[in-house]
Amino acid sequence: MITEVNEKEYEALDHSVPMLIEFYSKTCGPCKMLAFVLKDIAKQKPDFPIYIIDFDENRELKERLGVKGFPTMLFFKDGKEVSRLEGLKQKPAIIKAIEAIA
Amino acid sequence: MSQKVRYISEDHLITRQNRAEKAFLAAFKAEQPTFAAPKVVVNPYLINPLCALVMFTTPTAVAPTLTVHGKRYERENLTHTFKAATEHFLPVLGLYEDFANTVTVSLPGGETTTLTIRTGTLPEGVCRCLNVQASLDYLGDDIMFLTPAGKNLPVAYDYKGDIRWMLTENTMFDIKRMKNGNIVTGSSRFCHMPYNSTGMIEINLLGKIYKEFRMPGNYHHDHFEMEDGNLLALTQDFFRETVEDMCVLIDRNTGEILKTWDYRKVLPMDVGGSGSQDAHDWFHNNAVWYDKKTHSLTLSGRHQDAVINIDYETGDLNWVIGDPEGWPQEMVDKYFFKPVGDLSKFDWQYEQHACVICPNGDVMCFDNGQYRAKSKEKYIENRNNFSRGVRYRIDTEKMEIEQVWQYGKERGQEFFSPYICNVEYYDEGHYMIHSGGIGREDGYAAKALGPFLDAEAPNVELRSITVEEKDGVVLYQLETEGNFYRAEKLPLYHGGDNLVLGDGQLLGSLEVTEEFDTVPETEEVFALPPSFHNLLIEEDEDRFVFHGRFEKGTLAMLCLENEKESHHYFLNTSATWHLAMCSGAFLEKDERDLKIHVSKLGLNGVFKLKLIINDKKYQTGVTICCS
Repeated sequence: MITEVNEKEYEALDHSVPMLIEFYSKTCGPCKMLAFVLKDIAKQKPDFPIYIIDFDENRELKERLGVKGFPTMLFFKDGKEVSRLEGLKQKPAIIKAIEAIA
Repeated sequence: MSQKVRYISEDHLITRQNRAEKAFLAAFKAEQPTFAAPKVVVNPYLINPLCALVMFTTPTAVAPTLTVHGKRYERENLTHTFKAATEHFLPVLGLYEDFANTVTVSLPGGETTTLTIRTGTLPEGVCRCLNVQASLDYLGDDIMFLTPAGKNLPVAYDYKGDIRWMLTENTMFDIKRMKNGNIVTGSSRFCHMPYNSTGMIEINLLGKIYKEFRMPGNYHHDHFEMEDGNLLALTQDFFRETVEDMCVLIDRNTGEILKTWDYRKVLPMDVGGSGSQDAHDWFHNNAVWYDKKTHSLTLSGRHQDAVINIDYETGDLNWVIGDPEGWPQEMVDKYFFKPVGDLSKFDWQYEQHACVICPNGDVMCFDNGQYRAKSKEKYIENRNNFSRGVRYRIDTEKMEIEQVWQYGKERGQEFFSPYICNVEYYDEGHYMIHSGGIGREDGYAAKALGPFLDAEAPNVELRSITVEEKDGVVLYQLETEGNFYRAEKLPLYHGGDNLVLGDGQLLGSLEVTEEFDTVPETEEVFALPPSFHNLLIEEDEDRFVFHGRFEKGTLAMLCLENEKESHHYFLNTSATWHLAMCSGAFLEKDERDLKIHVSKLGLNGVFKLKLIINDKKYQTGVTICCS
C-alpha cells in the first residue's frame, strides 16, 4: 500500500512496523519511473507499508534523515533505518531490501 | 506542432574500410598500374586526409623507396624503403595539408617516378600549433601525436608545428605503438557517458582499422601491450554501482577477456578520497603499467590520489604511493611509503595520471596536483597550484620513497592541468612531460575542467603544452590550441609492415544493455514525438545510439517491440554532474540533450522503436534489425 505523507503525518506513523519511506521530487524523471516500480511492488506485497514524501516540501525531515537527493528509499525496522537505496532501482533490489526487514 | 525523427543507418567503419579496400584492389587488378604511371588513392581508408596509397606493379621483385618531400628543403624529406615485391602498395604518410605535395618513388636500379599529391584543407575545428621550440637535429623523423580530450581530433605535429597526420574520427584516450608497428587507441564509438567507448582499435597510420576489441565494460583511459602481444585495458562492470575500477587482459587474436582484476577486492572505497571523489567513481583508474621484473601491475587512481601496485597473479596489494592522510593506520603501516632524502623538495602527487615504471624500478607519473591536499580546508586553488612530471625512487623493503626528479612546479599555474596528461621515460634524464589539460579564464588557471569551459568565450583559453627535457635542459616544447589527453612521440614509418591488406575484424563483444522490467502505463499515440525532442537514431551493426532532448524531470523510456516480445530501456533525464571529464568527446552543450547506446547483443528480430514521454507512447517510424 502506498501512502503519501508530509512531515507531520510521518511523525504520527507507527514506527514499530517495518516500512519503506521514499523521498521523491515532482521534477525528477527517475522518481516518476520509481512510482510505477513501487506501484508494482505494492501489488506484489499489498500489506507492506510504503510511504512517499515530497523532498522539496519536507526539507526539515529530509535533512533530519540525511536524505541528500531524490529518489531515495529508506528501509525502517523497529523505528531504525536498516538500509537505504539512492537513485532509481528495479524491483528485485527493492524487494530484496524489503524482505530483509519484513 | 512539428514532428521529426532523424535516422542514420551506417555500416561500421571497418565494413566501410573493407569495402573501400576491395574497390581499390579491384581497380588495381584491372588497371595493373606500372611504376611509371602508378595508381594513387588519397585517404584510402576514409579517415586520414593526410595520407595516400601509391600502387604499381614491377616485372621483378624490387624494394622501392618512397620519399615525401619536405615543404622547405631536402633535409625535411621523409624516406622509407619497403620490402621487395612485384605488386606494390606503398603508404604515403605525412602529407602537408592544403598543399601540392611532391612524392617520389625510386627503385634500386635508379628509376624514379615523381608524383604530385594534392591535399585539401583540414576540418575547421582542428587544433593548431601556437608555438613550437624544436629542431630537426633533436626530432629527426619523429612527430608528436596528441590524442583528443574533447571534440577535437587526434593530430600529429612536426618540428615546425605543421600537422602531418590526423584522423577525422574522434579516437580517444591513450595512443601507443605496438611491437608490430601498429597503433592501439580508443574507439570513437560512444557507449556510456561520460567517455566510455566500445573498446580499443588497432590501426595503422593510414587509418585502417585491423581490429576493434569490443569490451562489455567498455574502454577508458589506458591500455598496455604485454610481451606476448595481449592487451591490458581499463574497464568496469556497468551492472554494479561503481565505475573505473577494473582491468582486463584481452587476447589480441580473439578479443576474448582472459583475466580480470577488480580493485574493490584490495582497496577500501570510502577512504583517502581526493577532491574529485564520489561513491560512484571512487578510484578513477586512469593508467596501467605492467612490470616484468616484479610481475606486477601499477595503477593510477586519481580519486584516491594513489598510485598502487598489485600482484599480477593474485591481484593482492603490494604498495601505495600517495599522501597517507585519511587512510586507515593499518594500511598506512603496511602499504604506504615514508618520504626520505631532501624533504624540502618532496611533494606527494595528487589526482595524478599516467604512471610509468622506469627500468630501475623508479615510478614516474604526471602529478596534476588538483586540490593538492586530502582535506577540504587545505585545498589549493588552481591559480595557486602547479602540475609536474615527477619521478620517485621507492625502497619496498624499507618502505621509503625519495623524489629524484620533477619538472613543472617552477612554472606554476601557467603549466597547470587539473586533468588528463602524461609523462614518458626515454632514457636516464630524458623525459617527456605533457600538460595537455590547461584551461585559463581571465588569464588565470580556470576553476573548471577544460570540457566544462566555454572555449568560444574571449576570456577562455584551452591549451596543451608538451615539453621534452634532457639532463635538465628543455629541448622541445609544443603549445597547441585545445586540450589533449596524451602525447606520444613516434616516427610515421616503422620497420614492420606499414600496411597489411585484408578485412578488418570486429572482435569481442559489447554488453547486453540493461533493460527496465517495469513499464509505465501510457496511452499509445500513432504520431511522432514533438520536434522539440530533436530525436536522432544512429544504427550500427552491433548497436544503436538514441539521441534526444528532454526537459529535466521528464519520464522517458525507449521501447523495442515486435509481435513476440518487447524490451524497455529507461532514459535518465535528470541533471548529471560529472566530477571527472577526461574526454569531453561525448559531452553535449545543452544539458537537456541525452544519448543512450543499446547493444544488439541478446536481441533477435526486427523491432519497432517507440518512445515513452511522460504519459504517452510515441512512434518513431524506425525499425531496428537485430540478428
